[in-house]
Amino acid sequence: MELNGEQLIAASVPDVWRGLNDVAILGKAIPGCEAIERISSEEVHAKVMFKIGPVRARFAGKLFLSDVVDEKSCSMAFEGSGGAAGFAKGRSRVELSSAEGGTLVSYTTEASIGGKLGQIGGRLISASAKKIADDFFQAFAKELDPTAKQMLDGGAT
Amino acid sequence: MNQKIPIEMIVNGNTIQAEIEPRRHLVDFLREDLGLKGPHLGCEQGACGACTVRVDGQIVRGCLYLAVQANGKVVDTVEGLTAQGVLTALQNAFLRRNAMQCGFCSSGMLLSAAELIEQRPEATREQVREWISGNYCRCTGYHSIVDAIMNVLEAQREQTE
Amino acid sequence: MKAAAFDYIKAQSVPEVLALMSKHGDDARLIAGGQTLLATLNMRLSEPQLLIDITQLAELNGIELSGEHLWIGALVTHTEIENSPLIQKYAPILGAAAPHIAHRAIRNLGTWGGSLVYGDPAAEWPACSLAVNATMVLRGLQGERRVLAADFFVDLYTTALAPDEILMGTEIPLANTKQVFSFQELARRHGDYAIAGLAAVAQKTGQTLTACNFAFFSIATTPVLAKKAQAIVNGQILSTELIAAGVAMARSEIETMDDITNSAAAKTHLVGVLLERALKTMLAE
Repeated sequence: MELNGEQLIAASVPDVWRGLNDVAILGKAIPGCEAIERISSEEVHAKVMFKIGPVRARFAGKLFLSDVVDEKSCSMAFEGSGGAAGFAKGRSRVELSSAEGGTLVSYTTEASIGGKLGQIGGRLISASAKKIADDFFQAFAKELDPTAKQMLDGGAT
Repeated sequence: MNQKIPIEMIVNGNTIQAEIEPRRHLVDFLREDLGLKGPHLGCEQGACGACTVRVDGQIVRGCLYLAVQANGKVVDTVEGLTAQGVLTALQNAFLRRNAMQCGFCSSGMLLSAAELIEQRPEATREQVREWISGNYCRCTGYHSIVDAIMNVLEAQREQTE
Repeated sequence: MKAAAFDYIKAQSVPEVLALMSKHGDDARLIAGGQTLLATLNMRLSEPQLLIDITQLAELNGIELSGEHLWIGALVTHTEIENSPLIQKYAPILGAAAPHIAHRAIRNLGTWGGSLVYGDPAAEWPACSLAVNATMVLRGLQGERRVLAADFFVDLYTTALAPDEILMGTEIPLANTKQVFSFQELARRHGDYAIAGLAAVAQKTGQTLTACNFAFFSIATTPVLAKKAQAIVNGQILSTELIAAGVAMARSEIETMDDITNSAAAKTHLVGVLLERALKTMLAE
């Protein structure tokens, strides 16, 4: 499954970078995040409850950062186990650039979902992932500046 | 969650009382607790129809129905309906048309077909095919099953003419 | 697979259900027909602590004439809709759509309300409710409110129903003798999730359609009304050219989404195919 997109966030590049690296902010922005912990500068663990339609799948996830260029870009590898529901693995690349109105966050993601969720949910995995990404960025922008206008532009594809 | 719920239902004409965990499906209760092995377990997702049973006169997926939901209801399996003679014409037709090989789908097929014959007595071959598309058969290729059902429908229509 | 353990309670009243929902939040799930919920639990894609059985709630039952509306309670099953003479008379597109839903055994238990509240993109009832201008009646601890179908389906599996509300049923304006309709669904096998579908309803006088509703489903994350195509067709004589214009507009205005069966481009093509069939059918009625 591929998930690529860009979001314009009404905040400066340093602020967006700081936000993306702040587990307290990520914890509030990730839909269904129940717990999040920074293990090291490269590793973050999180517990997320995915709620899509009738599904309620609790995933224990790990995120590994690499190729970090401060205030510019990083790569991520992630894996998550959803118990009986299935598992997910993938890689993502995030790049920030200055744009009119704030910061443009560009991301590319490749993920595979296995187990029951992959089999049964395969029909709507892409649409679900897009929605989760969009919801994340809405919430993230609000965390950075609760008073600013919401998403100016962009979306996942 | 150690809850066990007392239930009472009529199964194949007999009043049954039990205390069961809410998570148990009707089909598992019928098979394991009552020894009624007629309905089978296939996919446990409601797709294959092998678990089809009758509740309050209607076919349902036994794997998408909790035993606790059957409290106060009338449940019939292929065993009971056979004893009542409800399925005789269909069973004879199945035998004549070779509509059964391994038999795994047959209980579900018979119950689905019985509801069709009751509810759609004017059904065409196409409508029969559509109706039983909720019951999977891996052996027969379906034609003989459709033939058997059409036989019963046609005989019934001839009688009422 | 078997579901994980849960507690079960058969609710006796709407206030009881609302109180339980408030107390347990998302740890509790409502069960009516259970045809989606139990399949989900069987696969352990959800492990709630408590199931609240709402099938005893009389207020959520019934297909009834109520003044200028047809009331369909949330607990009405797909089979009941298929068999109902009131539906045949006052909301016939629903009777035409019902046989497309899954298979008979599922239809005997699955409910009108359940389908509307899940809002699966491939479901028939959300699109049909748009096509007939249904109003959803919602009740929560704050009281009752009404939401038009056009405002109900918000996003993927997301409706206007708040977490502390239940759907009581829908009010549907009565079809008159001038109503024509066409329900189209494409699927590889009967009972499969739709590849693309259309619930079309209009008023017809001579060769002209007005008050057109063309509600497409399984082509995006929610059912979608082809508003610009509707505007083109409304009030004009339905010639070959007008049909072609409507079809072209529907294809260009609707942003389709690809899924496991077809690309977005294929879905766009099918949008036009279904609309053409529907318009020709309604013209001939």
